[in-house]
Amino acid sequence: MSATVVNDPVGGVARGVPRPDLRQDMQGEMPAQERVDIAMRHFVRDFGAVAATYMESCVHCGMCAEACHFYVQTGDPKYTPIWKIEPFKQAYKREAGPFALFMRALGLKRKVTIEELQEWQELIYDSCTMCGRCTLICPMGIDIAALVSLARHGMHKAGLVPHELWAAAERGEREGSPLGATPKVLKERIEWIADEDDVDIHLDKEHADVLVTMSSIEIQKYPQAMAAVAKVLNHLGMSWTIRSDGYEATNFGLLSGNADWQRDMSMKMIKAAIACKAKLLLLPECGHAYTAMRWQGANVYGQPLPFKVRHISEFLGEHITDGSLRLKKGLNKTVTFHDPCQVARRGGVFEAPRVVLAALGAEVHEMKDNRSMNWCCGGGGGVISIHRADAIRYKAFEIKMRQVEDTGAEMLVTSCSNCRLSFDDSQAHFHWDKTAHSLLEAVADNLDDTPPARSVAPAAIVNPYREAPAP
Amino acid sequence: MDLLTLARGPILQWALVIFVVGTVWRLAGILLLRRKPDYTEPRSTHTWRGAANLIVKRTVPKREFAAQTAFGNTIGYVFHIGLAVVVFGFVPHILFIKSLTGLSWPGLPSGIVYVVGALTVAALVAALVRRISNPVMRLISNADDYFSWAVTIAPVITGLMAAAHWGGPYPTILAIHVLSVCLLLAWLPFGKLMHAFLVFIARGTTGALFARKGAST
Amino acid sequence: MDREPTILESFQQQGMSRRSFLKFCAAAASLLALPAARAAELAEKLGAMPRPTVIYLSFQECTGCLESLTRSFSPTIEHLIFDTISLAYNDTLQAAAGEAAEAAREEAMRKAWGKYVLVVDGSIPAPLDGAYCVIGGKSALASVQEVAKGAAAVIAVGTCAAFGGLPMAAPNPTGAVAVQDLIKNKPLINISGCPPIPEIITGTIVYFLTFGVPELDAHRRPKVFYGNTIHDRCYRRPFYDKGLFAKTFDDAGARNGWCLYELGCKGPTTYNSCATMKWNGGTSFPIESGHGCLGCSEPQFWDRGDFYKPLSAGLWHGSIGEDLGIAAVAGAVLGGAAALTARHRQDKTRTETETRKPEGK
Repeated sequence: MSATVVNDPVGGVARGVPRPDLRQDMQGEMPAQERVDIAMRHFVRDFGAVAATYMESCVHCGMCAEACHFYVQTGDPKYTPIWKIEPFKQAYKREAGPFALFMRALGLKRKVTIEELQEWQELIYDSCTMCGRCTLICPMGIDIAALVSLARHGMHKAGLVPHELWAAAERGEREGSPLGATPKVLKERIEWIADEDDVDIHLDKEHADVLVTMSSIEIQKYPQAMAAVAKVLNHLGMSWTIRSDGYEATNFGLLSGNADWQRDMSMKMIKAAIACKAKLLLLPECGHAYTAMRWQGANVYGQPLPFKVRHISEFLGEHITDGSLRLKKGLNKTVTFHDPCQVARRGGVFEAPRVVLAALGAEVHEMKDNRSMNWCCGGGGGVISIHRADAIRYKAFEIKMRQVEDTGAEMLVTSCSNCRLSFDDSQAHFHWDKTAHSLLEAVADNLDDTPPARSVAPAAIVNPYREAPAP
Repeated sequence: MDLLTLARGPILQWALVIFVVGTVWRLAGILLLRRKPDYTEPRSTHTWRGAANLIVKRTVPKREFAAQTAFGNTIGYVFHIGLAVVVFGFVPHILFIKSLTGLSWPGLPSGIVYVVGALTVAALVAALVRRISNPVMRLISNADDYFSWAVTIAPVITGLMAAAHWGGPYPTILAIHVLSVCLLLAWLPFGKLMHAFLVFIARGTTGALFARKGAST
Repeated sequence: MDREPTILESFQQQGMSRRSFLKFCAAAASLLALPAARAAELAEKLGAMPRPTVIYLSFQECTGCLESLTRSFSPTIEHLIFDTISLAYNDTLQAAAGEAAEAAREEAMRKAWGKYVLVVDGSIPAPLDGAYCVIGGKSALASVQEVAKGAAAVIAVGTCAAFGGLPMAAPNPTGAVAVQDLIKNKPLINISGCPPIPEIITGTIVYFLTFGVPELDAHRRPKVFYGNTIHDRCYRRPFYDKGLFAKTFDDAGARNGWCLYELGCKGPTTYNSCATMKWNGGTSFPIESGHGCLGCSEPQFWDRGDFYKPLSAGLWHGSIGEDLGIAAVAGAVLGGAAALTARHRQDKTRTETETRKPEGK
């Protein structure tokens, strides 16, 4: 399968954002009009009552612009969140709206052109991290991020995806990992890190209570995460495994807008978890992996999952609260925590990481906008992978940098490897002195292996994942 | 039949019929689309509470956004509350509603209604100026926004004109006022003014979905 | 010298002083709200002119207007018809009857051709050459057209003559029309009301005799009498402004004299002088006696909906509730069909996708 990258110099320069790399990408060969039609029809293909409600409710008040880091940092009105789906409004009205019949019969719709869709590629992919901050400002309560996600479905079917993102998604589908962390690579990396850190990493156990999944960003760039999760689970004495038939939690199908690929990626993990009779599927420090598996996994599967799905930070928080995970107060400094959008604002995990930080002895200095109001790192939603978006991503990152600086905290911690990647890249760009550290690794470095004090009631340390018989 | 009788009679009746057909049509057309079952394990099952919560809560902007949205919100508050006061506080309007539904309640002194009406017009004009002058709003605005604005301000202006005996014989202005209301009713289901109903559905939907995930709204 | 006596002379012939003539003029002037200079002019002009001939024709009417006219207090009807004008024909007031009466009319017309004033009271049925109203073998339609030909001006007295009135009320069985629908080429003044305030009739005639056609509104009524709505001049208006309304005709609000809007008062849309001039020599007017205004001086007042429904109530035809119920069902059907169509189209897209295996797969 080959893809054509069309370098198209057409397109404006966002105010205040130099864009050295102007281009619009296309995949596949098809006539322009067919592309438009496919994009439009596939946008509404998965439209239900919820998306329709959102599509119908906008009053064009423009407030969502004020919530978006890309607009706030550039002042360019085209980055107004609701504007990012403008051409798709036409599609909705024509295909699925209550008056669609009239729209079609009377031709009451603005003709969307291929040029417009190409122009919108930047708005739908480069300048939206689907962080959902706009959802919280909208007076109508419209979840714009969800609509962008649907718009990506149409764009993907029409072959109008930024090339790096498309390539990563396609590679993920073909090789099982968007970043080349194939099962073979996984095994090599595990062997190496297990040896390096002197830790038991269970690979491909037939039965386990906990199926540990990884982000390929971790496998390739932050392999310490593999050692860290192994140390924590071994410390808890759990039966767990990583399975080479279902380890990849990043889901570029979701990010690029290919629902089929998204399903394929998710189903590998679901099947692996069922195969090893896991009671818990543990998601790595990755934001959109949480959205994909925790909040969409069962729906991809078509019925409730026979196991629980938890983000690692939730998992750590739960086990600290129930007393089974004992930590040394080794993080004896001021710390600020960056909430990953998909885990916190859109995922509902707010307090667990703070419980963990408290247990580590850290003094948490919250950013001015924290928890559900946090600002995105700028790299979510696949934006980090798109080179031409670098300039605007750095621009957006300035907000984050300011907010981190304002806390005066000595250390910055987060719980998303994609955020970390974005932080690292921006750190290098700005020659900044702050590094985003992994919450998981901080825990793994501070495990308290001394036997628990007698005073702890046995009931308090019951581990729900230990109830199953050992394999 | 004179214009006022025509306006108060068949035209108003037809406008109401169009209003009801359109509103139910649009709501049914949206709500009867597929609603996929959600099989994910909910963090909270209090989705109705989440829906009600957001419907109420989003009426007040979040503290973090208050400063950036103060101007737009203030204008919005003034004309929304103003419209409510004028529509539901002026005795002749209450008597209209009574003739339609049988429901009535005590009204406000006319003087207060006139002042509120004038403030409403001022706020609506400010809203239009903002829509034209603010780059974001200008970009995202379409014909519906401007038409709906005109259809909204028209009854307020003609109502004030009638009260002030300005612009022509009172029965003629009153008839034009009633006709402008007919236009508003007939247009409401088909444009953005439908948010009068959809605001509850949209907020409720997000409130319920986010409550299920335990995500904060 | 065989000349017609002037109005002042005829006052004196009746044994009245110049002083009483001036009082008549002062009454007329104050009624018409004339400034002092114009009042003097009125007395001077009226005193010097011969009594004009007036022909008063009645058609589809109830004689209420004439009854009202005879109760004019100032100027009085006596002064008007005995001293101010020469009433050549009025089938109710005149002594002559039958052919003698018609002969008197014809004689007056001939003598004052082009100068007399035609007063009409009642509407005229237009269909079948006016067959629904025939007097002495002559249809109202023919009469009014014939008499109008030689008239200097036409004054339509009462809502029937001015706008068609009750005879024209739906379904208008006689095909009644107003005078202004028939007479197009003469100066015409409408004095509407059912009946009109008598002083407005006499005042307008006096004004016309002196200064010609007064300033008229869109319905050709003298602005001096029809320039304001009842509501604007109503002594109950402060209660409307305060939002205090009588809810029934015998509640505390009604007893306290609160506004009658909720009881269907049409004062806000009715132009007339009832609230200021009142009736029976300034004694009272309908609202003062506790009943809402019916709007009788406005065109089609009879057909403008329930007298006892507030002005802002909808004038529903049939059951509005039923209509809206049907509308809701229709809306639901249309919306349901729209949703089903959309679902079907989504399914089609989905099927196509699965069979075609798109690019990049």
